[in-house]
Amino acid sequence: MANITKKVSWSSRADESGATGEGTPLLNGSEQPRHSRQDSLRGRPKEIPHNEKLLSLKFESLDYDNIENQLFLEEERRMSYMGFRCLEISRWVVCGLIGFLTGLIACFIDIAVEELAGFKYQVVKENIEKFTEVGGLSISLILWAVLNSAIVMIGAIIVAFFEPIAAGSGIPQIKCYLNGVKIPRVVRLKTLVVKVCGVICSVVGGLAVGKEGPMIHSGAVVAAGVSQGRSTSLKRDFKIFEYFRRDTEKRDFVSAGAAAGVSAAFGAPVGGVLFSLEEGASFWNQMLTWRIFFASMISTFTLNFFLSIYHNKTGDLSSPGLINFGRFESDSVAYNLYEIPLFIAMGAIGGLLGALFNVLNYWLTIFRIRYVHRPCLQVMEAMLVAAVTATVSFTMIYFSNDCQPLGPEHTEEYPLQLFCADGEYNSMATAFFNTPERSVRSLFHNQPDTYNPLTLGLFTLTYFFLACWTYGLAVSAGVFIPSLLIGAAWGRLFGRLLAAITSSGSIWADPGKYALIGAAAQLGGIVRMTLSLTVIMVEATGNVTYGLPIMLVLMTAKIVGDYFVEGLYDIHIKLQSVPFLHWEAPATSHWLTAREVMSSPVTCLNRIEKVGTIVDTLSNTSTNHNGFPVVVQVTGSDEPAKLCGLILRSQLIVLLKHKVFVELARSRLTQRKLQLKDFRDAYPRFPPIQSIHVSQDERECMMDLTEFMNATPYTVPQETSLPRVFKLFRALGLRHLVVVDDENRVVGLVTRKDLARYHLGKHGLEELQLAQT
Amino acid sequence: MSLSKSSLSLLLFILNMSTIALSDGLNLTALHSADKLKQIPSLNRAAAAVVVNSPMFKPAVEPIFSLNLLSSFPEDLEISDYCKELLNIFGQRYVAYVSCLVPAARPVTVCQKCFSSFGSLREAYANISSESGPGNVSCSESLLRGDRLMVVNQLNTSLEELWTSSACDNCVTKGLQRLTNDTLYFMNTLNQTDDCFDKYRQGNHTELCKNCKSTYQELNELYGRMEKNQTMCIDIEDSMNMTRRLWSKYYNCSVPREETVPVIAVSSFMLFLPIIFYLSSFLHSEQKKRKLIHPKRAKSYTSLMNIQDKLG
Repeated sequence: MANITKKVSWSSRADESGATGEGTPLLNGSEQPRHSRQDSLRGRPKEIPHNEKLLSLKFESLDYDNIENQLFLEEERRMSYMGFRCLEISRWVVCGLIGFLTGLIACFIDIAVEELAGFKYQVVKENIEKFTEVGGLSISLILWAVLNSAIVMIGAIIVAFFEPIAAGSGIPQIKCYLNGVKIPRVVRLKTLVVKVCGVICSVVGGLAVGKEGPMIHSGAVVAAGVSQGRSTSLKRDFKIFEYFRRDTEKRDFVSAGAAAGVSAAFGAPVGGVLFSLEEGASFWNQMLTWRIFFASMISTFTLNFFLSIYHNKTGDLSSPGLINFGRFESDSVAYNLYEIPLFIAMGAIGGLLGALFNVLNYWLTIFRIRYVHRPCLQVMEAMLVAAVTATVSFTMIYFSNDCQPLGPEHTEEYPLQLFCADGEYNSMATAFFNTPERSVRSLFHNQPDTYNPLTLGLFTLTYFFLACWTYGLAVSAGVFIPSLLIGAAWGRLFGRLLAAITSSGSIWADPGKYALIGAAAQLGGIVRMTLSLTVIMVEATGNVTYGLPIMLVLMTAKIVGDYFVEGLYDIHIKLQSVPFLHWEAPATSHWLTAREVMSSPVTCLNRIEKVGTIVDTLSNTSTNHNGFPVVVQVTGSDEPAKLCGLILRSQLIVLLKHKVFVELARSRLTQRKLQLKDFRDAYPRFPPIQSIHVSQDERECMMDLTEFMNATPYTVPQETSLPRVFKLFRALGLRHLVVVDDENRVVGLVTRKDLARYHLGKHGLEELQLAQT
Repeated sequence: MSLSKSSLSLLLFILNMSTIALSDGLNLTALHSADKLKQIPSLNRAAAAVVVNSPMFKPAVEPIFSLNLLSSFPEDLEISDYCKELLNIFGQRYVAYVSCLVPAARPVTVCQKCFSSFGSLREAYANISSESGPGNVSCSESLLRGDRLMVVNQLNTSLEELWTSSACDNCVTKGLQRLTNDTLYFMNTLNQTDDCFDKYRQGNHTELCKNCKSTYQELNELYGRMEKNQTMCIDIEDSMNMTRRLWSKYYNCSVPREETVPVIAVSSFMLFLPIIFYLSSFLHSEQKKRKLIHPKRAKSYTSLMNIQDKLG
């Protein structure tokens, strides 16, 4: 998409790149001789192992900026007052639908996981009970491992072979989408199906994963689908919501969908809204926020309602999220002023552990990208992880001597007795032999002496490495619950040790409270979210009084963690080579000006351009440009032409498809005038240029772009500093920013990748390289 | 009923002015201001001294007043003989039930031993709370909700709670007539097991483990079934707990951990697999390379080296 006329030098063809490097005239004189090292670097075959300092060419920007061409103005003029009102109402309807469907999907996932996991654990439990007495527990171990890997295999196959974008939690992808990057296939129906089935398989398969992250992705896909009123995959067009078929509207709805997903996952409607705010805040307004909140509320209460039917308590709206932290009784777990330093210390521990987690996962992910990239290998890896998870869990349970009496209210769903006395159960088994959500809840709420310190320590250690190993596999699964689980385990350990140290302190050192704080610290240390995570945790526990400690803990965890390494999602965004724009331009970049940042020279089109030229420009595979400044020639001078507009590749393709040529318009006066609707119908999958046939005669025709181009594109002068360009670009959600000189002549073009390549590294400002992936 | 603030401050003002006026004022308003005066922080020493120095107020006023209160009750507010009788019966049965409960506390036999006395207590309470007695007299109003304390009600509630949490309803037939057949059967099986334990108590415990295993298993399974059907009360739970503890802890008949070697073997094999996998994919899979693309810039001195030059 980089808009440059130079032939892109493919790294393998060293000679050609060398030639172009010398042959292309540079605006301010060639500086080549002064950079011999750079030249020698260019001369080498430019194939490097994948690393984090790359920007991939396959990612493009969304067209968030409205294309104000004449067609648009015409349509706006035709639209009545009522039309605008209807549009506003249908926005609300769409948001309600998004919430409803997201809630339904969450409900489906929840019930499916509960039923299937229940079945699996029942089978394994019976088997273990049978073999405890007569001997042969290794067979149970094998059964458990095989069951796990078989289920995970299904999940991994559909992800690895059918839709690789559905792997992982999906939060990095949605973050990128809300940032304005078009990630290919991320909001397709197929992705949704794979995601939902994949997450069910991976949770049932006993991996150290949660189903909350994928909910956010699912919500986003639902939003992108519903708001369009049609499905391109199913080839069904319901002829509704046609106005919303453009990136601007779609992205707003996607942020509503992500919020609905968060809210369904955690029962946290406000947290969902704030999540969207935190991730995509540069394009925000009050009405949109209100609509997103509406979608969130609808989603959490849809889930609520259908789960109440499932639990045979129709109308009881008390299970609002996929993960329910349970109620913290305010009197038993009240906190005191002197505990605040303890909480902050826990935040620091969480930050350290989170940084360790991220560093380990970073190296693992690099290894995976470099060596485990074939789908069959990925499936095998996932199966191995599942088998090892089962093995480690079994071994832990087998050698655990921590027996606890069964509670009166039977909070343990699948108690395993094993070698414990009758009437007691193995407490390691409640942590391992359970779905992760239930384990979190039992760590929060079980009696203070339920787990002994050794159990908690071992559990933390093993689960930490298992979760770290699992994240990044080719299965769709989230990292929220494992993080919470690790944190809850060491938090509980912390609380127990505190109670042991302070002999009289057992009253205030309630392990459940410290488990909650530990969970928040660990999660904050790994994902480094701030505002939204605080609100999500507060809402999920249903206890506002914990707001302050949770906030302090998350702040500490973020500060400590950021000292070492970035958040997990940011690491994965970087490793996928996404041109992600952060909030601010990198510091110390004010000396860079637009002239140095931009791509140049630019492929421009004339206002009345020959069809042949357009087709050639579009079909040039080496320069996959997407936006073209439209210029008008000053008569009788050979100076560069002046800028008069900007037109996109997608628009040109629609024009070519409909053969909007000047000559044809003259000969056929009755020809229907092209409308905005024709552009919308082709959205979002515009046909490639190769599929459009232009005959030799038609190549000689002319095309008038006046009506279709955006007549007032944003421009900056050459001397604008990078942070200024950045701010404009980020705040308006631009895709192309034209750099002009003082006579309005096109000098260069700034796109997302030109800005995203600068980042502040260890040695000051560094530049990322573009790569073909 | 209460004095307003302004009148109180007025009163204080008067207090300071003269003690005669004070005593008059107190006489008039003793009832209302006695405790209010104590709460006024700005009360000066003089006033406090006066209150202390006039001990005749409180003792003198209150007994007379309360006597007056009792005698002044009209006839229909007083508790009827019928209700008194009911209250009496309730008291007796309460005592009976509690004296049954206490010795049955450990080991827990509260359901087996005391269900009948609880039945009669419940009956007595039902009589009190019923809306219509003979002659259309209702005692529930006067006995149960007559005052803030509600002694009868609270006593009954606490015992009802005890009954509910013991889940005795599961072991006793409806109407609290007798123990259910399930319970009797369980008790029978339990006794068999206990007998068996008694028989082999002397000597080697392995002998006991071997010989009593079948009866114990039977008991365990029966208990499991009852647990599933929710037909258990505290008596059964407790006796089962005791028996299990005897079996597992005292006689040490739990399953021993014997298969350590095969489990370790299988799990180390499993743990070995990923190492092979990663090694082989590291050695045999070709490393994924990325092709670099060099975009053309207007000025090439924006390259990385140059940035470093400038910064460094």
